[in-house]
Amino acid sequence: MSDQAPTGFETWLVAAGSAAGEHEWLDRQRRHAAEQVRELGVPNTKHESWRYTSLKRLLETGFSRVDETRVDDLVPAGIDAYLVPGLDSHRIVMVNGHYSPRLSALGELPPGVRIGALREFLTSDPDALRERLNAVIGPQQPLFSALNTAGSDDGLVVLLERGAILERPIELIHLAVGMEVPRVAQPRHLIALAEGAQAALIERYISLNPELYCTNSVLELALGRDATLYHDRIQMESPQAFHITGLYLDQAANSHYQGVNIGLGGAWARTDIIARFSGEHAQCRLQGLYLAGDQQLMDYHLDVEHAVPNCTSQENFKGILYGKGRAVFDGRVLVARNAQRTDAAMSNKNLMLSEHAEVDTKPQLEIHADDVKCSHGTTVGQIDAEMLFYLRSRGLSASLARRMLCLGFAGEIIESIHHEAVREVVAEQVGARLESAPLD
Amino acid sequence: MTSTQAVDEIVRSEYEHGFVTEIESDTLPPGLDEGVVRAISARKGEPEFMTEWRLKAYRHWLTMPTPHWAAVHYPPIDYQAISYFSAPKRPEDAPKSLDEIDPALLETYEKLGIPIEEQKALAGIAVDAVFDSVSVATTFRESLAEAGVIFCAISEAVHDHPELIQKYLGSVVPHTDNYYAGLNAAVFSDGTFVYVPEGVRCPMELSTYFRINARNTGQFERTLIIAERGSYVSYLEGCTAPQRDENQLHAAVVELIAMDDAEIKYSTVQNWYPGDERGRGGIYNFVTKRGDCRGARSKISWTQVETGSAITWKYPSCILRGDDSVGEFYSVAVTKGRQQADTGTKMIHLGRNTRSTIVSKGISAGEGQQTYRGLVRISQRAAGARNHTQCDSLLIGDRCSANTIPYIEVKHPSANLEHEATTSKISEDQLFYCRSRGLTAEDAVSMIVNGFCKEVFNELPMEFAVEAQKLLSISLEGAVG
Repeated sequence: MSDQAPTGFETWLVAAGSAAGEHEWLDRQRRHAAEQVRELGVPNTKHESWRYTSLKRLLETGFSRVDETRVDDLVPAGIDAYLVPGLDSHRIVMVNGHYSPRLSALGELPPGVRIGALREFLTSDPDALRERLNAVIGPQQPLFSALNTAGSDDGLVVLLERGAILERPIELIHLAVGMEVPRVAQPRHLIALAEGAQAALIERYISLNPELYCTNSVLELALGRDATLYHDRIQMESPQAFHITGLYLDQAANSHYQGVNIGLGGAWARTDIIARFSGEHAQCRLQGLYLAGDQQLMDYHLDVEHAVPNCTSQENFKGILYGKGRAVFDGRVLVARNAQRTDAAMSNKNLMLSEHAEVDTKPQLEIHADDVKCSHGTTVGQIDAEMLFYLRSRGLSASLARRMLCLGFAGEIIESIHHEAVREVVAEQVGARLESAPLD
Repeated sequence: MTSTQAVDEIVRSEYEHGFVTEIESDTLPPGLDEGVVRAISARKGEPEFMTEWRLKAYRHWLTMPTPHWAAVHYPPIDYQAISYFSAPKRPEDAPKSLDEIDPALLETYEKLGIPIEEQKALAGIAVDAVFDSVSVATTFRESLAEAGVIFCAISEAVHDHPELIQKYLGSVVPHTDNYYAGLNAAVFSDGTFVYVPEGVRCPMELSTYFRINARNTGQFERTLIIAERGSYVSYLEGCTAPQRDENQLHAAVVELIAMDDAEIKYSTVQNWYPGDERGRGGIYNFVTKRGDCRGARSKISWTQVETGSAITWKYPSCILRGDDSVGEFYSVAVTKGRQQADTGTKMIHLGRNTRSTIVSKGISAGEGQQTYRGLVRISQRAAGARNHTQCDSLLIGDRCSANTIPYIEVKHPSANLEHEATTSKISEDQLFYCRSRGLTAEDAVSMIVNGFCKEVFNELPMEFAVEAQKLLSISLEGAVG
C-alpha cells in the first residue's frame, strides 16, 4: 500500500475551498475516504462491478480541478435558454460543481424547509450536517464515491423537518461550461426528509458546449418514516463528457421513493444506485431509460437491499442502442434472512438497432428468506418486423415507423416522470436523438 | 547428459522400480509433483504424448490461483494430502455384507426399489457372483461394435485409438481453462470414451452403469464423446442411488464434440454423499462440462438432476460454433441440510441462427444454499441468435437461500433473448388444496415440487425420469415441517 493516490486521481482528492481544520469531523471523514482510495486502487475488468466497463480512457485523459473563483463569470448570458418551460421550481444552479447564487432562484420556502449550498451550511450551521453527511453512504465507499467524499466541491443540501411539505419541486441544475482543459467537478448532495415530509427533486445535468470534462457526483438521500420523495434525473452531459453518479438511498418505515433516471448524454456514463430499506412497509420504485449511440457507454449498477420484512421494490430499466452504443445493466436485489414478505421485481429491456451495438446485462437475485415474491426479467431484441410492416403498410416511411416504435418503447418510462413539463422536454430530446440516429 | 535428462531418468527409474515391487499395493502415497504425474501415466502404460500432455497441464496448473468467485464456502483443500492414484479396492478391504453398511443408505435403496445384488454393488461390497448388469453389458458391447460405435474406458482409448485422443482430448476444455480442469488434465484417473461414426444412430442409450470397468473410475474422471457427421448418441451418467465414495474431492472433465447434423444428449443424475447433518464429510463436486457444436445444424443437450454432494460447482456449457446449431440445458438442483450448489450453464453463440434454451429449477430447503450462475453470449457474427432462459427457485424453510446471477452479453442486433426468473415458496393455497384431498403434507410437497420440475424431467430418458422423481421425493423428506 502506498501513500500515493492511484495514478490519474491525485487531483481528485484535493477538497475545494474549505481549508483543513475547519471542522474536525469533516477532516476525519475526508482523510478516511482518501485512505480508502489508496487502499482500493484503480479497478480493472477483473473486478466484478467493472467487468464490462473500462477506465482506460478516463485515466488517460487526466483531469485537473475547477477554478472556483471563475465560475460565476462563465455564464454571462444567464441560463434562460436552458430552463424547462412552464416549470415553477426552487432552483439551485451549480456551475462546474460550484454553487452559483446569481443563477439560482430559490424563492420563498415554506416553514420547516431548508435548502442551500453545502459550503454555506458548513459555515452557517455545520451541526446540521455533522450527523448526516456520509450517514447513508457509510464508511465503506467504492472508489468514485470515496474520491468525492475526500475532495468534493460544493453541493445541494435539502433538509425537511417533520411533516414539512414542499409544494413546488426543487430543481438542481448542473452546468458544465468553459472547460478549456479537461476538468473534474465533484458535486456532493444531501437530501434528508424527516418523518412525514414530502418533496420532489428534479436533477438535470447540462453542458453549454460539447466539451471534454468529468462529473463525479454523489447524492445521499435519507427518507424518514412516512416520507415521500419524487426524483427525476435527466443526464444530458456533453457528448464528450464522463459522467459518474453514486446515488445512496436509505428508506425508513412506510417511506416512498420514486426515481426516474434518464440517460442521454456523455461519452461514458456510469450510475450506481444503492438503495436500502431500514424500516418495514417502505416502497422503492426505480425506473430508467438510456439511449446509447455513436461511441457512448451507458453503465448502470443497481443494488437494492431488503434488510427488513414487508418492503416493495420495483426496478424497470429500458435501453435503446444504436451506432456503436454500449450499455451495461447490473442489477442486484438482496433479500436478507429475516426479510419475509418482500416483493421485488426487476426488469431490463433492450432494443438493439445496429450491428455494432452491445448490451451486457446481469440482473441478479440473492434471496435468503422463503416467504418472498421476487422476479426478474431481461430481454434483448430488435424492432418487431410485423409492427414495422403494419406501420409501413399505412404509408409511413421506414425511418419514421422505426422512430415511432422506439418512442413507444421508451414511452413507458417517459410517462412515469413526475413533472409534466419535464416529461415534455425529455420526450422532445429522445425524439431528436432518435431522429439523428442512423436507424436504418 | 543435461540435468533435466538426469532428473527425468531418475523419475522414470523410480517408477519402474515401483511398478515391479509395488504390484500388490496399487495406491500412490499422498502428494502431487511431476513424479506423481509421470507415475500415474506410467502405471496406465500411456504413450509418450499422453505423459507430455499431463505434464504440460500440471506445470500450467501450478501457476493458476484457486478460484474464489463461486458462492460456496469450504476450507482450503490440501492438494498434497490427496492420493492421486488408487487401483480398484481389493475384495478383502471392502465391507463383507450389507450388515456393515449404514442403515440409512440401505433404507434409501429400499425406497428406490433397487435389487439386492445391485445394492451390494453400490455399497461397495465385494460381489463374487457375476451379477446381471455385467452380462447385459457384454451383449451391449457386441451390438455397439456392430454399429461401429466405440464405447470404452478412456485409458483403453489412449492405447487403441491414440489418433482420436490426440485429435480431440482437451480440444473443448483445454488444461488452461480453469483450476480444476487443469488439475484433472494432469492427474485424471479414468473415464469414458465414446466415438459415434458418421451417420450412425447409436442403437441404445449409453451409460457408465453398463460399462463393466467403469467402477472406481476415481475422483478425477474424464469423459470424451465425439459424434461424427449425422450421428446421434444419448449418454447417461451417474445413478439415482447414493454411491459410497471415499474421495472427498471430485474434479471431473466432460468434453462433447458434435459435427455437422450430429446430436448428443447427455443426462446426469448426481446423488453423491452430501455429508452428515452438519455438512461434514460430503463430496466436493467441481466439474467442468462443455460441449462443442462444431458442425452446422448440430445439437447438444444437457439434462441434469443434482441432489447430492456437499458442494457442487458445475456449469455444463455449449459452444454453438456451427451455423444453425442448438444448445439446451435442463437442470433440477436440490440443496438441503448444509448443501451448497453453484451451478448453471454457458451458451456461447458464435454461429449464425444458433439457438439455445435454458431451463433451471432450483429447490433449496433446510440451510441449503443455491446459486444459478449462467452466461449467454451472442458474438458479433451470431446473426439471428435466439435464447430463452427460465430459472425458477423454490424455497422451503426460512434458513435457505437462492441466488440467481445471469450474465447476458449481446453483440449482434438481430439477437432475441429472453430471461425470466422467479423465486417463491410453495404456496399455502396449493398445500391446502392437496391436503384437503387427503394427501399428507409430505406427499403434497413432493407432488408440487415434482410438478415444478416437470419441464426438466420430461427431458430425461424415461427410466431415469421415473427414478429422478422418486429421488426428489426422498431428498425432500423431512425438509417440510
